[in-house]
Amino acid sequence: MAVRDTVAARTDGVWKVFQQEAESVQAVRDVSLTIERGEFTALAGPSGSGKTTLLNLIGGLTRPTEGRVWVAGREVSRMSNQEVARLRLKEVGFVFQAYNLLPVLTALENAEFPMLLQGVPAEERQARVRELFARTGMEGLEDRRPGKLSGGQQQRVAVVRAVASRPALVLADEPTANLDSVTSEALLDVMGELNRDLGVTFVFATHDSRVMERSRRLVRMVDGTVRDDERRS
Amino acid sequence: MLLRVLVRLALRNLRRHLRRTVLTASAMIVGGAFLAWSMTVDDGSHEQWVDSGVRMGSGHVTVERPEYRLRRQIDNRLTTDVKRAAEQALASPEIAPHVVTMSAKLGINGLASSAAGARPAQIVGVDPVAEAGFGMIDDGVVEGRYLEPDDRLAAYVGADLARSLGLEIGSRFVVQAQGADGEITGQLLRVVGIFRSRVPAIDQATIHITLATAGEWLGSGSDVTHVAVVLEGSGRTRRVSDRLARALAEPVERGEARVVGWREANPVLAAGIAIDEFGNYVIQAFLFVIIAFGIVNTVLMSVMHRQREFGVLQAQGLTPGQTGTVVLIEGLTLSAVSGLVGVGLGLLGTWYFFGDGLDTSIFMQDIDELTFSGAVVDPIIVPIFGVRRIIQIVAFILGIGILASVYPALRAARVDVTEAMKFDR
Repeated sequence: MAVRDTVAARTDGVWKVFQQEAESVQAVRDVSLTIERGEFTALAGPSGSGKTTLLNLIGGLTRPTEGRVWVAGREVSRMSNQEVARLRLKEVGFVFQAYNLLPVLTALENAEFPMLLQGVPAEERQARVRELFARTGMEGLEDRRPGKLSGGQQQRVAVVRAVASRPALVLADEPTANLDSVTSEALLDVMGELNRDLGVTFVFATHDSRVMERSRRLVRMVDGTVRDDERRS
Repeated sequence: MLLRVLVRLALRNLRRHLRRTVLTASAMIVGGAFLAWSMTVDDGSHEQWVDSGVRMGSGHVTVERPEYRLRRQIDNRLTTDVKRAAEQALASPEIAPHVVTMSAKLGINGLASSAAGARPAQIVGVDPVAEAGFGMIDDGVVEGRYLEPDDRLAAYVGADLARSLGLEIGSRFVVQAQGADGEITGQLLRVVGIFRSRVPAIDQATIHITLATAGEWLGSGSDVTHVAVVLEGSGRTRRVSDRLARALAEPVERGEARVVGWREANPVLAAGIAIDEFGNYVIQAFLFVIIAFGIVNTVLMSVMHRQREFGVLQAQGLTPGQTGTVVLIEGLTLSAVSGLVGVGLGLLGTWYFFGDGLDTSIFMQDIDELTFSGAVVDPIIVPIFGVRRIIQIVAFILGIGILASVYPALRAARVDVTEAMKFDR
């Protein structure tokens, strides 16, 4: 079943059950959610509420036990590993709590990595990254390795990496959890601008109140289910 | 494009974990150096055995009648046409550059007798000038001299045979064998030289006479039973044999001739070398299995430490196969570089011995003569540098490196991305 172009991602009756020794843990329970393009959505909830698992399900990093997931109009839950990898490469950007930059690449190389895999020509890659580096205050740090960057700088590189290849949506798992408040605010400013100016779709898993305050849609999760879905103007 | 990305990642990872890379590479370099050293020395040793064996008379390649090897009798001599065709083929531009020396001979089994008794003998009629090119038997003079072209009824006798028949220089003795007419015929010979080849089987039975004397005695004229050819190296045997066989296609088809390589002519020596090579290969394989486990361990540890990195790569859109390929490229690069450096060092260590050889006489101090399957073992081993052998060694090391990287690569490919992202260190 194809979904409309305006939809970045959708889940339909998704369950995720983990088997831990003799015990089954229902991390996500019957979640149906539609993420429109251009949204700035926060999945909020306490630890263990299933927000990260839901993010991983949308990003194709894990497969649903039951239910279906679509990204950019394509059903992820029925794809082979290869197909999911290709879809992720093209349509999904990730920002992780621990930055997760590749230590052997420079800031610029990290940021252009997904485009490198996509086969985007070098000139275009570098132009896009340099423009985003300018927007995010990373100018002049292109040749530094992650080890030589602060946490905030690394997370900005991760955001540029997630955005530069122009995916259908960016999934950000606790992106501010390792940052101090000033750096967190600055990073959220950057992501807010990218969302507003470039129309980048962001979905956050967070329990940071700053992220929740800035989001235009707040999905509250408890015990693996959506408790509340609040849209703000 | 993608491959370049994967290669770049692999190379940078090797550089990033330099200590680990150097440690793993060191094991492979030492293994490669040992392999290059031992194989060039082994090859040199085996070549020396072969050279010694073939120079005792049979050559690297022999042209003879098909039945000759079973019955060394005068009936099984080559026709004049076949002998001429063989000599022409050996003089051809295709074969001649590889030929060091050749000798047409008449070799038969007979009986040698003197006042002291009678002994079975292998009597060989030779052209003394051509035979001197073989350099083993004519060089082994212990008394008297080797044959000369004008010698008539002169014999050059193995030392042990001479002793058992009570022969000295100038002694006369009788040889008997089947003549060309089928009758047993005898000939009185005079000893002009006594030799010791150091191969007991030869020293106990061999008598050289001139081809003219043999023809006169046996009524066979200038006929020969075989043409033996010494080549510039045993590695040329198959090529020369094949070309010779093609040149002699008609007589071969008619059953009048066949071309025999040294392995067939001297199966005991060939088997001895094969067994020795097998033993060496087993030891080398064991060594590399140990090295391979070391590589598996190091690469696997590296993969386990980089779970998060592989998770990130797959989250960014790399397929599991491509993720595993990064690890394979790391293993391949490490093996290729270590293999080449190791082989280079091994050859460097062997370089000195390419000239004067490696003197192993210290291990043979209490041994007068060491023979092996009809060949004399020279304590001086000159290693052999062969391009094909070097390629084999490098390919072997590469193969081991790749094999050792397969399991870690699979582990990297099968990483659970969500679990890997949780991984914290």
